[in-house]
Amino acid sequence: MAYLSELLGKPVVDVDGVRLGRLEDVIASTADALPHPRLSAIVVRSPSRSMVVAMEDVAVLIAPAVSLAKPIDQIRPVEPRPGDLQLAREVLDRQIIDTNGARLVRVNDIEFTRVDHRYFVANVDVGMLGLFRRLGVARAAERLWRRRTESPPGKLTWHAVEFLPGNQPLRLREPASKIEELHPADLAEIISDLSRAEGARLLSALDVETAADALEEIEPDFQASLIDGLTNDRAADVLEAMAPDEAADLVAELEPEKRSELLPLVERDKAEEIAALLQHPEDTAGGIMTTEFLVVADRLTAKEVLDLLRKRADEVGTPYYIYIVDDAGVLTGVLALFDLMIAQPGDHVSDFMNRNVVSVPLLATQDEVARAVAKYNLMAIPVVDDQGRLVGIVTADDALDKIIPTRWKKRLPRLYR
Amino acid sequence: MRSTSYRIRPIWSRLAFALAIIGPGIITANVDNDAGGISTYSVAGARYGLGVLWILPLLAVALILVQEMSSRLGIVTGKGLGDLIRESLGVRVTALILGLLLVANWANTVSEFAGVAAASGIFGVSKFLAVPLAGALVWLLVVRGNYRSVERIFLVASAVYLAYVGSGILARPDWTAVARAAVSPRLAWDSGYLVMLVTIIGTTIAPWMQFYQQAAIVDKGLRPAELGWERLDVVVGSLFAIVVAGFIVIACASTLFVHGQAIETAEDAAVALRPLAGSYASTLFAVGLLNASLFAAAILPLSTAYVVCEAFGWEVGVSRTLRQAPTFFGIYTALIVLGAGVVLLPLQSLVRTMIASQTLNGILLPVILVVMLRLINDRRLMGTHVNGRILNVLTWAIVATLVILTAALVVITVFPGSSH
Repeated sequence: MAYLSELLGKPVVDVDGVRLGRLEDVIASTADALPHPRLSAIVVRSPSRSMVVAMEDVAVLIAPAVSLAKPIDQIRPVEPRPGDLQLAREVLDRQIIDTNGARLVRVNDIEFTRVDHRYFVANVDVGMLGLFRRLGVARAAERLWRRRTESPPGKLTWHAVEFLPGNQPLRLREPASKIEELHPADLAEIISDLSRAEGARLLSALDVETAADALEEIEPDFQASLIDGLTNDRAADVLEAMAPDEAADLVAELEPEKRSELLPLVERDKAEEIAALLQHPEDTAGGIMTTEFLVVADRLTAKEVLDLLRKRADEVGTPYYIYIVDDAGVLTGVLALFDLMIAQPGDHVSDFMNRNVVSVPLLATQDEVARAVAKYNLMAIPVVDDQGRLVGIVTADDALDKIIPTRWKKRLPRLYR
Repeated sequence: MRSTSYRIRPIWSRLAFALAIIGPGIITANVDNDAGGISTYSVAGARYGLGVLWILPLLAVALILVQEMSSRLGIVTGKGLGDLIRESLGVRVTALILGLLLVANWANTVSEFAGVAAASGIFGVSKFLAVPLAGALVWLLVVRGNYRSVERIFLVASAVYLAYVGSGILARPDWTAVARAAVSPRLAWDSGYLVMLVTIIGTTIAPWMQFYQQAAIVDKGLRPAELGWERLDVVVGSLFAIVVAGFIVIACASTLFVHGQAIETAEDAAVALRPLAGSYASTLFAVGLLNASLFAAAILPLSTAYVVCEAFGWEVGVSRTLRQAPTFFGIYTALIVLGAGVVLLPLQSLVRTMIASQTLNGILLPVILVVMLRLINDRRLMGTHVNGRILNVLTWAIVATLVILTAALVVITVFPGSSH
């Protein structure tokens, strides 16, 4: 086991003891597609120049002085290759994502391990011990730790970390692959912890679906500035992938010019939905409702409804309820998924639907909506216009947002990040 | 739909948007005239009259140079100053710089709460009530409130400083003397005078300003194409700060100095506003001082905690719980509690406390400047936006001047007998 911080600055001598300079950096190669990069070369800095020496020419790495296996005039400097990582310059002290802990950390040190005469990058040290080591007081700190029974925290194995796009020197792996496995809410928190530029870069590197999911979890004013950092085409794609109510909230935060640039790029149906949602005042049922819900006619059978549900599952998000409207679009009944499951396949919807539907008017306040949701134990509540036509639904989480203060906690001054 | 959309926006947010045009440079410059700043300029004017005025035009140039560098660093790299120091210069330099910043900003926080105490004293409110209350208010404002909109209120209230401009004019100073004083440098081997110079420099170009302004610029997401706009913002803000400082000196010089009255309490300093506000001078002064103190007290501990935690990779953010981000909350809360706590000790003079913290700023400034110079001349970071030669020479000249002044200060303090 050895640490990068202990190697940096060490004198480098050739096989005859002639001094070449000091060790400035260590290069690790990710080209082999191993889980841990292999150390492939060292960068030696002399007052006049810097030289890259292949690991094959290094006789002893972990020693007071790094010594090479050949005389100085037989050493052929190597050229950088794709997949090369300059550990001190490109990894040490940078921010990376700890994909297990789903948080942003800073690299305090890098730990190497030796397997069959070859060195590999084993761990990334993001803990206090790494900091102390860099400050030159590692011994004292270790002694302190030994008094406690637990092992010092803060070591992450290399394959549990991910670079921030943009800090990433070369395309190392599939971009952001591990990041996309994070929960959208965790991802949202990481993006919120980054600066605007870095957050936008990270968002650009994600696939559209993941980006949309993550963006939905971010507070609206920061959403808007992240959208500003994306290209217009990309931003339009992300808007399309978002739930219409979330997309409308975001669009409402955009500057008018940006809005008129983006909306024409959004696919027409979606753009119209967003525009329609924008017509409603922010704190009313209309302002928080979504237009993604499932409607059927009461003449269908249970089997037909289930088939329809299977076919349209992608479009309707999470359908807790299926709503029944008449030919004029007036809400006449509701089915819970459970009702549908226990019904006989041949039963007609009109026979087992619940005709006593609780709904709220478009202009009901968010407070009233939340109260209705809580009182009737609903997962979602339908919103009707003044003629009783179904225009949208408010899901329980959106309704309760105002009552249970989760959002204001996120509304922080952004000025300091 | 653009025009038909009637999603209702509260009038407040519309006002906030109008004010959002005010850039980071102007905001930073306004916070710059905080409790420490007002006291320093007042005491300087009262004690040395127009004799310290000459340094302000030079300081205007220096302030613009330094703040322009900080805005360029922020715009080009998209990163805060703490981040850049850590990523380019490693852990040791980071620990040194941020350790110094922590001490300086703690001292500055003390001065802000001393400002609160002084202002409340004028209203006859005990500092033992006002200071803990202000501390709690600031803590809650940032952790629980919407800081952004409150910032605008503070900013608008900063217009109170314009009272000094009015007062300075109404005091009918001899304008030719003012003009002459502004361009005739005066150096004296006198410890009090040297301390004053370092203090004026330290309060005008305080180390926290570079960190704060750069963070604001990164947060605003400005791009290199907007460099020109941001330069204008920095120049306007810096000139505003210096002009206000100049008028505080002039107002105090033409009221307090001519009567040979020294400033020991906040009421003494309020006398400078008498030509404009008459018997309301004390009230006006107290309101201005309270606003300035709270404004800066809200900003300093928070920005310090952010900078330190970010550079060391500790969890950041008020959104996290105490358990998730213990260091962040620890630093933030400790700065407020210790800052307010010192003021509750039996102090000789609140004014002197405010000024002492600014002297510390002046001593730390060259260290920060050297680091900034190193960063801004790094082509890997800045590409073509590195400093030009003239800019480097000028900034090094500032560093050299500060080092010489500080060294002279140390010598004169250690060997007081050598002063005339």
